Amino acid sequence: MNFELIKAALIKALAEEGITEYEIYYTSGSDNSVETLNKEVCSSSSSVNGGLCLRLLKDGRMGYASTQLMDEGEMGELVIRAIENAGATEKPDTVGIYEGGEEYEESRIPEFSPIATADLRRAAIELGGSLFDADERVQNGTVSQAISSGFDIRIVNSHGVDLAMSCGVNALIGQAVVADKGEMQEDYSFKEYSVATEGEVISEIAGEAVKDALSKIGAGLVPSGKYSIVFSGKQMRSLMSVFSSAFSAKAVIDGMSPLKNKLGESIAAPVVTITDDPQREGSSVGLTFDAEGVPTHRHEIVTEGVLNTFLHNRETAKAMGAKTTANASKAGYASPIGVRPHSFCIEPGEKTNEELLLMAEGGVYVTEMKGLHAGANPVTGDFSLEAAGFMIRDGKLCEAVKSFTVAGNFFELLKSVAALGNKLERGVQTGFTAFGSPDVLVHEMSIAGK
Amino acid sequence: MLEKRLLEEILGIATSSGADFAEVYCEYTRNGRIHYVNRRVEAISDETVSGVGIRAFRGTSTVYASTADISRAGLIRCARSVAEAMGECGEGARVMLTERIFPNIHPARIQPSTADIRFKCDLVRLACDSAYGYSDKIVQAAGNLITVDHTIQIANTEGLLTTDRHIRSRMSVEAIATNGTENQSGGCRPGRGMGLEFFEEYTPEMIGREAAEEAVGNLDAVYCPAGQMPVAIENGFGGVIFHEACGHSLEATSVGTGCSQMCGKLGQVIANEKVTAIDDGTIPGAWGSVNIDDEGNPTQRNVLIENGVLKSYMVDRLGSRRMGMPMTGNSRRESYLYEPTSRMTNTFIDNGPDRNEDIIASIEYGLYAKSMGGGSVNPLTGAFNFSVNEGYMVRNGKICERVRGAALIGTGSEILKDIDMVGQNLATGQGMCGSSSGSVPTDVGQPLIRVSKITVGGR
Repeated sequence: MNFELIKAALIKALAEEGITEYEIYYTSGSDNSVETLNKEVCSSSSSVNGGLCLRLLKDGRMGYASTQLMDEGEMGELVIRAIENAGATEKPDTVGIYEGGEEYEESRIPEFSPIATADLRRAAIELGGSLFDADERVQNGTVSQAISSGFDIRIVNSHGVDLAMSCGVNALIGQAVVADKGEMQEDYSFKEYSVATEGEVISEIAGEAVKDALSKIGAGLVPSGKYSIVFSGKQMRSLMSVFSSAFSAKAVIDGMSPLKNKLGESIAAPVVTITDDPQREGSSVGLTFDAEGVPTHRHEIVTEGVLNTFLHNRETAKAMGAKTTANASKAGYASPIGVRPHSFCIEPGEKTNEELLLMAEGGVYVTEMKGLHAGANPVTGDFSLEAAGFMIRDGKLCEAVKSFTVAGNFFELLKSVAALGNKLERGVQTGFTAFGSPDVLVHEMSIAGK
Repeated sequence: MLEKRLLEEILGIATSSGADFAEVYCEYTRNGRIHYVNRRVEAISDETVSGVGIRAFRGTSTVYASTADISRAGLIRCARSVAEAMGECGEGARVMLTERIFPNIHPARIQPSTADIRFKCDLVRLACDSAYGYSDKIVQAAGNLITVDHTIQIANTEGLLTTDRHIRSRMSVEAIATNGTENQSGGCRPGRGMGLEFFEEYTPEMIGREAAEEAVGNLDAVYCPAGQMPVAIENGFGGVIFHEACGHSLEATSVGTGCSQMCGKLGQVIANEKVTAIDDGTIPGAWGSVNIDDEGNPTQRNVLIENGVLKSYMVDRLGSRRMGMPMTGNSRRESYLYEPTSRMTNTFIDNGPDRNEDIIASIEYGLYAKSMGGGSVNPLTGAFNFSVNEGYMVRNGKICERVRGAALIGTGSEILKDIDMVGQNLATGQGMCGSSSGSVPTDVGQPLIRVSKITVGGR
């Protein structure tokens, strides 16, 4: 069944049950990928996926039900299930379904051109070969992958809001396994690409993945103690991804954010400005509307260290007497409406990489942190994480170090940021959210090593 | 589920371009979730997951395609896309499917998908009320009841046609405690491959209380000191140490491609002789149990390490081809959207020879990790990490002050040899394990163990 038939079946079933306020959230997508192992194509996969979430208001309560099964019988069931779920929900709904009537920004995201399977195959083989050509120490187990993933979103509601958006990502991933001096190591590089930039991106990925894997060979241990640490932009953005939930007004209302009662206060060093820009330049995915259909805009969440606003959807905004920042989101198409950032970034500062390293004499440049899902607590801000990186001496990266932990509190860390690099490292979108940060220098961080 | 003749036709198309094996995986799942926060049911959602995954092999090369369009035309299109990705289409295999049903060793008494919704809401309410009732320091208790009713059908060109239904129930409570100046959190997240009868055994009151205890206890904890020290790791979710430090490195996913520290070590001593480790997907009603794996093989009890000697890997069909070893019933996937691969089921270190009290008494200065969080591993290097949710310093064989913010790191090959005492109170804990075939439920487990030295990350 196509969307128009599904919609018609649903609207009929809704009318039969006397439901007048509802929203249909529909996603559909198509993914293709080709993977090589040791230069040979070992697998290719494709998927046609999608799902529909129905949200309806019944007796002042919101009910949800979702499905991937697109037939008329299921649409009738869906309405019954959503009504039943509304009936057992105890929280009164305060905002209803979005009424619309606001202007949307023009989309600045480039139109998505999916890459054909044959072209993905060629690129994956080329990248697989380039990884091996990059150094004679590259070993079996080395993998390349080319991915083309596109998706469409449609939101239709009972107030006449009817929104659609298509986007997608084409990406190449190279994962190099290297062996030297009796030791094996690996690293990867992941970049977006197009058929036009394929050659350039392949050589960048092969170079980076192999160089990064080789740089770990012979890594030593670092003595436990307090150090100046430069978190690479990639690592800092990973920390941001865990702790960004503290900026959600939903977490504040639920008592799960350490930023509660901190609006208007200084929560970070004056060099820190954090923005959420749904259509950040260079993004492949960016929505002009959030998961409720509200128009999205750029927001400065923290300006020179001062917390300006939390991230809101319509419900949290009403509860806190604020205006929504259009950060309504769904973890998946079937999830209830929550709050998440779009493209949440610490804005770059002014220091070059060399200047930052000179300020961190005797410190550690952290290029890897693992176990963020377990070793970082967004309710308290505490983290203690396995890490790897390089010692810093004379403004240069020196020997590699591994198997240490770096521990601290994210919100104390924000306050003690000493300097920021001048280059933003923006991550690839996961769902509709991306994070970014420049390199960040912090003094007096705890390291546990040998 | 799909009709036999249609399955035979799909398998024929999928093998029409030179594949030597093909398989169809059809799924119909009902997921339910009740979210309770701020002393009320905040949101109830449910989802029907429905779709088909088709896979073909030529040697060790695979093609996988999945679709949510389960109309005949959609399925034929999906099978053709598999064949076209493999090569020039010609004559497909003629497949005669014979239905085979494996016994259900995990029957569910109270089906969550048909149970009264208010009954389910009350279970979460009871748990959260119990957390609030534990202490007036508890300022928030957020609960989730997650239920899964999962039916699969698997057919392959070896003639197998089988179906299975699997029920899972899990509750989680996150409690927040405050002392007026700072907040701390605690959680409890038990689950089983059972219906809602599980909560008669592990009651909502117990779940709420355990979450609250952890949160309130952390208010008085000091930051854990950093450095290398002996660590006693308690039973239950403590078994995540074996899961991360060794389990992933024994999966064919990494062994079959040469990317595991455990390659070529069968028959060798890889752990202290007190260590026997098992992966067992047949434990009735356990969180990681299933009747059949996602390739249609019955699960089994695999002794991975016996008295320190590596005995077995965990092998799926592709791994079996790559490694020349039999399949072990470990092929798993999150849903039809994922190509299956070798995964753990219920993995644990078995009871050992040491008395628990002797383990604590043996530590002059170290850490007692009573409750663990999750972790991760790089199977190639064996470097792993995991976090301690509830820990205590041990001095002169006595458990002393509570500490927080500790992480344990090391490498698998070293830690297996450094597990030098194994106690006798084997228990399991539940987790969702993430890997290339998605997120699957797994049990981890062990008795109390002692690791002679490990790097403890703290401040």
